[in-house]
Amino acid sequence: MSTVSASTGTSALGTGAGQRRVLVLRCPDWLTGEEREPEAAARAFEPVIGVVEEFCPQVEVLRPGLVAIAARGPARYFDGEEALAARLAQAVSGRGTGCRVGVADGLFAADLAARSGPAGLVIPPGETSQFLAAVPVAALRCAESLFDVDGLPELTELLPRLGIHALGEFAALPAAEAGSRFGARGLVAHRLARGLDPRPLAPHPPRLDLSVEQEFDPPAGQSEPVVFTAKSLADTMHARLAAHGFACVRVQVRVVCADGRELSRMWRHDGLLSALAVAERVRWQLDGWRAGGGQDAEAGGIILLRLVPDQLVRATGHQLSLWGDAVVSDRVARAAIRVQAMLGHTAVARPLLSGGRSPADQVLLTPFGDAAVPQRPPGQPWPGRIPAPAPATVYPRPHPASVTDSDGRAVSVSGRAQVSAPPAWLAADGGPARAVTCWAGPWPVTERWWDPGRARRQARFQLITDDGSAWLAVLQDGRWLIEARYD
Amino acid sequence: MEVAQVISLSPARHRDDVLPGEGVLPVLPALAGLLPAGGLVRGSVVTAGSFGLLSLALAAGASADGAWCAVTGVPAAGVRAAADAGLDPARLVLIPDPGRAWPQVVASLLDGFDIVLLCPPEPPPAQLRRKLEAAARRYGSVLLVAGDWPGAQTRLQVTGEEWTGLGAGHGRLRARKARVVASGRGAGERPRGCWLWLPGPDGSVTVAASAAGLDGLGPQRLISSG
Repeated sequence: MSTVSASTGTSALGTGAGQRRVLVLRCPDWLTGEEREPEAAARAFEPVIGVVEEFCPQVEVLRPGLVAIAARGPARYFDGEEALAARLAQAVSGRGTGCRVGVADGLFAADLAARSGPAGLVIPPGETSQFLAAVPVAALRCAESLFDVDGLPELTELLPRLGIHALGEFAALPAAEAGSRFGARGLVAHRLARGLDPRPLAPHPPRLDLSVEQEFDPPAGQSEPVVFTAKSLADTMHARLAAHGFACVRVQVRVVCADGRELSRMWRHDGLLSALAVAERVRWQLDGWRAGGGQDAEAGGIILLRLVPDQLVRATGHQLSLWGDAVVSDRVARAAIRVQAMLGHTAVARPLLSGGRSPADQVLLTPFGDAAVPQRPPGQPWPGRIPAPAPATVYPRPHPASVTDSDGRAVSVSGRAQVSAPPAWLAADGGPARAVTCWAGPWPVTERWWDPGRARRQARFQLITDDGSAWLAVLQDGRWLIEARYD
Repeated sequence: MEVAQVISLSPARHRDDVLPGEGVLPVLPALAGLLPAGGLVRGSVVTAGSFGLLSLALAAGASADGAWCAVTGVPAAGVRAAADAGLDPARLVLIPDPGRAWPQVVASLLDGFDIVLLCPPEPPPAQLRRKLEAAARRYGSVLLVAGDWPGAQTRLQVTGEEWTGLGAGHGRLRARKARVVASGRGAGERPRGCWLWLPGPDGSVTVAASAAGLDGLGPQRLISSG
């Protein structure tokens, strides 16, 4: 179905600069949530993409919550752009997702149109420059989420001070003036104000096939080997693009199953995604597909993965890093992904210090490659928290233990936090009982008493046994558990 | 005179004519005196007894300096304690359960991470040890083993420990004074020991008794230094 080839430079949105009719769909709920959990958002957004695909097979996902399609073809089919916008909005809201739809010439204007009016606007062909002319220059900030451009926020502050308040006034300046006065960002802003794309497409896209693909024989049943391959494929693709001095605006990821079913997605690239980030998008795509039942056991595994660079532009010498990937060096990422390919995505974790009372609560583990979301802020006081120093061994699941007094009876704690007798023996991990030389406690903790399902009443103790080991033990519901060891 | 003082305070580095540099990952100042090179030599294997704060603290100095550290085979690694000792959790990756394929996992990790802290699920046969030693050498990373590893270049061990702050029914754990002894494989290596706060009251690792952070093993030192 999507047979557009990147090598010719054509794309879903057409090639002619300035005359492309673009439809933008914005789902405001997703766009606010996206900052926090991009992976989860990308997976959950998949059904919405499916709805849009019924209108136009080639959907460009700018990010979860923001998609664009070429409006001309579907509009002809649905009898006009107004009707297309209305039907699409209805179909998406029918899934319980609020959305705004805008249609205009070019992506920037279409995005602004989607932001305007009660539910977005359809700007008739040829009227885009009038529409843009009245828009305040502050709207240039919006371009940052659409294109690889920077320096625009500063420009939006500078222009009003020079008496330029609307995009129309800025567009009226000669382009050369905008360039000489405001530099490269001025030229970009000027093109945007005139309703053009920020950078012209490469003038003579070479008739080269820069796409890369890998067949899987036997078919890959799991996502991990495919994602792992995607990383090296993306490396090859980037190297080929760089060798020709190009960057791609978008990358198309095509996955074909043994029974012939295929899934193709377009992801924003802008020459900014690292190979790891491309692999990450492949994983989102596969996860979303699997969750939606698109790829099931009958599909028989994945036989082909193909990455197609789309819309070639001259490379401007960007570093290949974005969205936190800069922190992880390529070498580390490669090793981590290789291990993930062996053991599964969740087997490799990055820790994040978090707030909490028990030592296990104070660390949050996130699979490598996913963005970490601190649920409990670490900086805030947690009354009842075990004071420093922290134990070096923290059992993910507390181990059963027995703590007895000198008469061999289990030590218990009364409702008023009184111990029945001093602890004299500790048997941990099924080992022999050892004499307790020092101890302190109980430190009672009552957590989440308002939530019966998650409420905890505990009493913590620190114990030292005669072999010199120090332990953090907890008494919960009459059972003794070892939470941590100080070793 | 000041120079002489500095030299006498850091005899380890001078005696072995190895200065921390490209081939040596830095360690916490408290541990530098225990290691002949003043740090972890890239491509080497270092053991730290059974898993505990010592193994995490050994990686802390390099981590604070920008090195990446992977911990595998230790589901119970205390990240908070590691962070308090100086290890940067942002450059830490955990593979709690490498499963049966742990040798391949470790080999992959060595090609990527500066330090790989491993707690082997079973004693590795000699052939496998040599393979992983070769991988560490090839990639210039340090294999830090919590457990036994006969071919290790450097072995550290806690030989004595004493907690302070906890009484009979009162107080709380405040700090542990631990004696750490390091020994090497080479013929010229003699064991070095020192007392460390492992950890101190704030979770950091510092020298406890001797100001120089280095004392020989009593009688042996008297004999060898003649």
